[in-house]
Amino acid sequence: MRLESRHWVFLGLFLVILLSMLLQIDLGVKVSQDTQRMHDYIENLPPGSVLMLSFDHEASSLPEIRPLALAVLRHAFANGHKLIGVALLAEGTGIGYRLMEQVGKEYGKVYGEDYAFLGFKPQYIAAMLSMGESIRQTFPEDYLGRPYDDLPMLAGITNYEQVDGVISIADGSLTTHWVEYAGNQYGVRVSAAVAAAMVTTYDPYLASGQMHAMIGGLRGAAEYEQLIHRGGSGLRGMLAQTAAHVYVILMIIAGNVVYFLNRKKGRKR
Amino acid sequence: MPLLVLVNIIATGTPWFDTGKLPILIAAIIAIGIVLIATYHRRSRERFQLRKIAGLEAVEEAIGRATEMARPLLYTPGWGGDIQRPTTIASMNILSHVAARAARYDCQLVYPTHDPVIMSVAQEVVKESYVQEGLADRFNEDNIRYVSSSQFGYAAAVEGLITRLEPASIFLLGTFEAESLIMAETGNFVGAIQIAGTDSTIQLSFFIVACDYTLIGEELFAASGYLSGDQSILASVRAQDMMKLIIMVLLLIAVIWASFAPDSTWWRF
Amino acid sequence: MRRRIPQLICGLFGLVVFLCYFSSHPTARSIYLTVTLDYWQIIFAFTLIVGAISFVRVNLRGIERGEDRSYRIASLVGVITMPLLALIWGLKGGSPFMWVFENIQVPMQSTVFALLAFFVASASYRGFRARSMQAAILLGAALLMLIARSTIGDMLWARIPEAAEWVRTTPAMSARRAILIGIGLGSLTTSVRVLIGIERTWLGGEK
Repeated sequence: MRLESRHWVFLGLFLVILLSMLLQIDLGVKVSQDTQRMHDYIENLPPGSVLMLSFDHEASSLPEIRPLALAVLRHAFANGHKLIGVALLAEGTGIGYRLMEQVGKEYGKVYGEDYAFLGFKPQYIAAMLSMGESIRQTFPEDYLGRPYDDLPMLAGITNYEQVDGVISIADGSLTTHWVEYAGNQYGVRVSAAVAAAMVTTYDPYLASGQMHAMIGGLRGAAEYEQLIHRGGSGLRGMLAQTAAHVYVILMIIAGNVVYFLNRKKGRKR
Repeated sequence: MPLLVLVNIIATGTPWFDTGKLPILIAAIIAIGIVLIATYHRRSRERFQLRKIAGLEAVEEAIGRATEMARPLLYTPGWGGDIQRPTTIASMNILSHVAARAARYDCQLVYPTHDPVIMSVAQEVVKESYVQEGLADRFNEDNIRYVSSSQFGYAAAVEGLITRLEPASIFLLGTFEAESLIMAETGNFVGAIQIAGTDSTIQLSFFIVACDYTLIGEELFAASGYLSGDQSILASVRAQDMMKLIIMVLLLIAVIWASFAPDSTWWRF
Repeated sequence: MRRRIPQLICGLFGLVVFLCYFSSHPTARSIYLTVTLDYWQIIFAFTLIVGAISFVRVNLRGIERGEDRSYRIASLVGVITMPLLALIWGLKGGSPFMWVFENIQVPMQSTVFALLAFFVASASYRGFRARSMQAAILLGAALLMLIARSTIGDMLWARIPEAAEWVRTTPAMSARRAILIGIGLGSLTTSVRVLIGIERTWLGGEK
């Protein structure tokens, strides 16, 4: 196989990330306004508030989504909020349940009383709309097969009116539908913890107030971990992310140097 | 029926119309009215023409290239859409045109998708195009195939197809998410001419870097009128521009008003 | 007739869902719930069957023809194994299905997702060239964003993240909003064209 320039670019990036992951250096981050807002939102909710966490992601984005979800879950449990978990993408189901169970144990929370995981519902727009009418009808049973009415924390929760906020943990555009259907149509407060690539997609919604708060990417997770004084893979991953960014910057500079040199040569000819 | 309506109102005491949604209803009626008037009440001799859209002009070139090189065309609608999404329907309109040309020039058209419904509709659309060209025997149902509902399963499948088939031209038209760059870069590696178009604003930036032509948002919706020259469709595109003009005027008024009277709220709804 | 009936169903359901949106009446909500929850879910279940049958059929034919045989066999093994594991041992945590999901599917998908980083690097090297003034501005904004989203932004100068935030929330967002308005209007006109029947390509017909 003949190696082309792109193969060298790939190899370089691989080595840069590998080396930076082997080094254990805590870089620390400055907290952005967006992350601070998300933190303040959860912090200022009265204890016992009901939050719905929707695991709207696939398995592929787990390295980025996991630290975000863990940070939000830890903060919510530490503040004594009641959490309802749902998954609107099939692959978020097992992951969502595991994460809620893990953090629930860390904070001594009881399943069914402090948190519940309702599982997966296909056709996300239909699921969002139908939860606006009746959560019980949408999820007659939880993920573990228990009837909705057997879970004490769900008593009195009929639809979004009894939910203080929805936090969509997403790697794609599903959060847009939460804003458009659950937020705009039923008036529930929608926030998000999203993969870095999606941050700019949601900026207009955040600025218009249609979305209440948002944290994004590994950097968002690292900032949140710093705010709740609980280090995790967000802060640990910052060195690798920084190294990868520096590498891409160098690649852009190298690409431009090659381009201008070639242009100069072309002119001389 | 009127009796049933009356009984319902008396029985529940809830009015049928939600007055909180009045501004949305007015906006919807105005918008739909403009489209209907523009479509049905145009002067019979009036001919509409759209400005040149490079991406759509390049469709013929892309098909011609594949024919000359005796290599296939690959067309995929992205992972983010389903059949009820207008973007998918707009993509089907272009597919119909591409399929007709592919049939005429006896060029293999491969269409991998993540959604079984999109697959069924695409099979019908492509088959109809072949039939209309009088070349139904050239249609191969297996070329329009469902690969995986999982985002990166789909991305991997399309990437594999591109690597193995080495298509001469690739059409990435529809709703794309994070898989966009994986496909566009792989297409670039095999040297395909690439025409992309999406309503996902974040993916547009990836397509602009990696593809030869990119249809930005609304250009995708105008494609059906552009390619077919159908005057009813072109009239509705004109209606779209009229609405844009109204929005621009309203925005301008709101900006001026908000600048001079920041406490006023009439323009917020 | 083949197109008229689906066209009528489409128009009727479009109108019903549109009208129900503007009503809080229990009857309207109940119709809405039936359409959105029951009908969509039933249709979705059937489409999954259509997808699975098509997938198996296409790959079996491909194996017969000897095209990409190894890939197709691997795909079919996956398609058959996962439902079997779910049917025999269920989907709960610790089941063989979840073991395969967590230890095979998750790493495989993460690997494909991770390819993005490599493609971003190669696309940046190849595509981000200061060919013109506009391209140079775009390049400058990209570099600023890359620096700000990592920790070096804070280290170099405290104002860098603020500048990047301004780029993100002011010029970039204005452009995105303009594109979104265009997309919204395009979606609206396409939807109206479909509902009134002047756009019929999705039914398998020209126009």
